Amino acid sequence: MQEASRAGALERADDRIVAGRAIDGDVDAFAVLVRRYTPMMRAYALRMLNASADVDDVVQESFVTAWQRLPELEEPAKVKSWLMRIVSRKAVDRVRSRRAHADIDEVEQAAPPHASPPRVAEARAEVEALAAALRELPDDQRECWVLREIGGCSYDEIAEQLGVPVTTVRGLLARARKYIIVRMEEWR
Amino acid sequence: MTDERDEPQLRRLGLEPEDLDGHTIDELTDYLEAGRQPADPSIDGSPGCQLALDALERLRSLTPALVAADTADTGPVDSSWVDRILSGIAMDARAGRRIPYTADDERLDLGITEGAVRGLVRSAEESFPGVVVGRCRLDGDVTEPGAPVAVAVEVSVPYGEPLPRLAQYLRTEIGAQLAAHTELNVTRIDLTIEDVALPSEGGADDGAQ
Repeated sequence: MQEASRAGALERADDRIVAGRAIDGDVDAFAVLVRRYTPMMRAYALRMLNASADVDDVVQESFVTAWQRLPELEEPAKVKSWLMRIVSRKAVDRVRSRRAHADIDEVEQAAPPHASPPRVAEARAEVEALAAALRELPDDQRECWVLREIGGCSYDEIAEQLGVPVTTVRGLLARARKYIIVRMEEWR
Repeated sequence: MTDERDEPQLRRLGLEPEDLDGHTIDELTDYLEAGRQPADPSIDGSPGCQLALDALERLRSLTPALVAADTADTGPVDSSWVDRILSGIAMDARAGRRIPYTADDERLDLGITEGAVRGLVRSAEESFPGVVVGRCRLDGDVTEPGAPVAVAVEVSVPYGEPLPRLAQYLRTEIGAQLAAHTELNVTRIDLTIEDVALPSEGGADDGAQ
């Protein structure tokens, strides 16, 4: 009972306490961070990698890196955005290595399949439409959009991470936005 | 921006420069993100731009809902997942400095790691339900026997306790733990109450019994 109540208190403690303790090497505290942020990190990797099977690997690698680099985390209260940056980097690494493979043995990237209009309850319809439009986007446009809109990266950061000029990032984002807006209009 | 005109269906829906009085989606996004400041009359006065801005803004407002839905959809975080992560990390990664014990017998070389001392400090939380010890720093040359050491600890405490008394109590507990298990010359213990935790939502189940 005592034991359970103590674990509960750690589970509910704020990020600064939990991350501070994980920095000190407490594995229980790190486990709390894993439970707390796995869903967000999975969700992010899922959009970035377009629902591939690599998602769990990317999230696991992110946590391993996070554990190693926790002592570098200067503001434990910001552990959430710090973790999101790590998963973002790992997802980009995955995307780039996948593309390097594809360059060798793939002839032409298949056109993204057009989804049929999502049929869901009114409240979630727009979100579903956005999700469907994202799935249809070419990889480079989707990656830029996710880094920008979900990851909160600046144009410079996106350019650096994807290894392309900022002008390209702007072009890809403009096309992604137009595509999403058009598809969502069509489904209204 | 010629490449943006390659897609005919986009032109129909009015997102190209000719629909936007010469502006581009890229420019309009910047304008929106700057809070439509400084005001640009050529954008504000253009019906085409206003339609595009509305669409961009709606898209933006949807993103948090998408993230929330995706997050909710990822499924439960079960214990096998947590085990999988923990099995891949080095548990003793943060042992820190080695703190020697003085020994009468020169053949003995005993020591305790900084990490283990932090564990002792954390164990003080067991003396008071709801207290959670966060980060703990040992300032001073702990590797030198007798050197003054200051301990700085962050804690979260349960709501409703008189804070000065609780702080004093915890400080005494931490001091007692360190005195019982180490030879550190602890000159001060700084306790920072970093958070006052409210009772868990609807949780009558975690009361002390």
